Amino acid sequence: MILIKVLLLVFWLLIIPLCMGLFVQSILPTTKKTLGITFICGYLLSFASFEIVAIGSMLKIKYGAFIVCCSIFSAVQMIIAILGIGITAAKLRKSFTEAREEGTISTGAFEKVKAAFLLTFPGNKKAEPEALMSPRTDVRLLKLQYSKEGIVFWAIFVLIVVFQLVMAIAMAPFDGDDAYYVVESLLAQQADVMNTILPYTGSSTSLDIRHAMAVFTMWIAFIAKMSGVHATIVAHSVMPLVLIPLVYMIYLECGRILVGSKRDALPVFMIFIALFQMFGNTSIYTAETFLMMRTWQGKAMVANMMLPLVLWLFLWRFDDCRKPGYLWKEETGGGKTIIRNSTWVLLFLVNMAAGIMSSMGIIFCGALIGLLSFILLIYTRNFKIIIKVILAMIPSAVYLLIYLAVWMP
Amino acid sequence: MYGIFRENLVTFKLYGGNGYLLFLFVAALIYLLFTEKDMRKKLVIAIAPFIVLVLFFLPVTKIAFVAILDDGADTYYRILWLLPMGVCIAYAGCKLFESHKRIGLVVVSAAIILCGSIVYKNEYMKRAENLYHIPQVAVDICDVISPEEGEPRVRALFPEELVHFVRQYDTNIMMPYGRDIIAWKYYNAVHEAFENVETINASELLKTTRETKCRYIVMYKDRSIDYSLEAMGLTLIDTIDGYNIYEDPEMVE
Repeated sequence: MILIKVLLLVFWLLIIPLCMGLFVQSILPTTKKTLGITFICGYLLSFASFEIVAIGSMLKIKYGAFIVCCSIFSAVQMIIAILGIGITAAKLRKSFTEAREEGTISTGAFEKVKAAFLLTFPGNKKAEPEALMSPRTDVRLLKLQYSKEGIVFWAIFVLIVVFQLVMAIAMAPFDGDDAYYVVESLLAQQADVMNTILPYTGSSTSLDIRHAMAVFTMWIAFIAKMSGVHATIVAHSVMPLVLIPLVYMIYLECGRILVGSKRDALPVFMIFIALFQMFGNTSIYTAETFLMMRTWQGKAMVANMMLPLVLWLFLWRFDDCRKPGYLWKEETGGGKTIIRNSTWVLLFLVNMAAGIMSSMGIIFCGALIGLLSFILLIYTRNFKIIIKVILAMIPSAVYLLIYLAVWMP
Repeated sequence: MYGIFRENLVTFKLYGGNGYLLFLFVAALIYLLFTEKDMRKKLVIAIAPFIVLVLFFLPVTKIAFVAILDDGADTYYRILWLLPMGVCIAYAGCKLFESHKRIGLVVVSAAIILCGSIVYKNEYMKRAENLYHIPQVAVDICDVISPEEGEPRVRALFPEELVHFVRQYDTNIMMPYGRDIIAWKYYNAVHEAFENVETINASELLKTTRETKCRYIVMYKDRSIDYSLEAMGLTLIDTIDGYNIYEDPEMVE
């Protein structure tokens, strides 16, 4: 029974988001099609689609709203995941057919799996020596091999993260807000309601729109319902195991852009980040304290997932301001508009995901996107940015309109 | 305006705690502002955070923040979440020790460890007693009073130290008051009779619990009470870790 629950958690928390990420992958430049970025994109799409399904169910259905929400959302996730798998399978089949016709197909099973992995995640491909030697190669677009020292640094980083994950299960932080947020998740799982029972006492209540719109509690309840694990265990013991590594994946992508071709500095950067998270508990207010002590609360995710996502997307956006280089056309699939604007599409999803975390997430992400877009506008003097940022902010505007419409009937 | 600026300064200091990590961040920020040659990186991780920091101290920002959010005065510190402190420190550390990675790793790691405070020593961090991460005593008490499948929900009165955890374990147990009454000190008749007195007046307590249809009363065995609840007609159904669980026969449906 426990094994089945664990497998269900793996299915809904790892496999489905990854497959959903494969669907988003088609709009990414080649070097960004890595396993990590695919996973991040999958989660973004999952959160974004959950916002529509959950808020719709909560506002439109009076009784048993949560069970309807679960049915629709699981179907939506499955459809997107199957589409993602289908697109990838078609791509693999085409590549393997071409390789077979050319007679270049590998014969060993391991080679085939490796080839399939690199075709699915071409961004994970390490640079060939001849590519590095070419004066026309833009090394920022390539993944380099790590030195032995770099591998040791990676091992140290992994050890720190494993320690943090073990401590996330072994230690129990007390936070009074859990009496609200975690109970909301449990109420959804046990009573099929969405924010219509007062968590503190169990009495019926009207919809508290400020908290209700932040449906991250319902997303946790969805995972609990689908896996059959108690929502409090999901929140306190399962979420840190998934969300903390996810946060590090985002920082990893920030670091990858920052250190550029000095790849051995990347694990060092990540060690500093991991230590900073662990030792950033200088007060109860810091983002790091929220990540380590309230991982499962929406505001912790705003501070530690949504805002770093905005930072990464703008680092990427600014990085793309370079002159198109040798591999640029290959990188963007022949300069496709959607691929060149993938950061804006992802920002659109970030704005949707921020809404499920907290109403504050909408304001903070909006403010940071506004500031960084303004700086980007000054730097590039490209006025199309104004239109792109307005389009990316549409989810926030819709969210605020719904908020005001319900709040002021 | 100057008063608001001072308030923001206090908020900044409170956010930083001992202040050393904040100092490290400001030092990293200044270092990046002056040494980062790649303008694109500098704009995102040095100039933008610098602007956020300046905006944080401006009184007008706080006035706008408080106007937009109901609890803006209490949550103004969250603007500091917009500062990528970890990224700035980590990148500045990598850049400063670019050609001496091993020394840099030791020096910057030591700086973060010495300036910071490890989260696992936080006063609110305790060793987990179960995967729920709530006290085992709360779980055990709830298991005794939890209604069976198909039975109606029950209402139980718990002492303050357990109130936060009961409904995190079982939402079929309702309570006459919750964390809101404790944290924000709202008035609640049951809470007044149970917690806000040195010695509980048993008849006063029963009057309020019956008005709120409490079937169970959970009370620490040494809690001072003028008259035994058993003598008042309640049944002691179990004692767990020093907590007596009483059932009120009048409230059994």
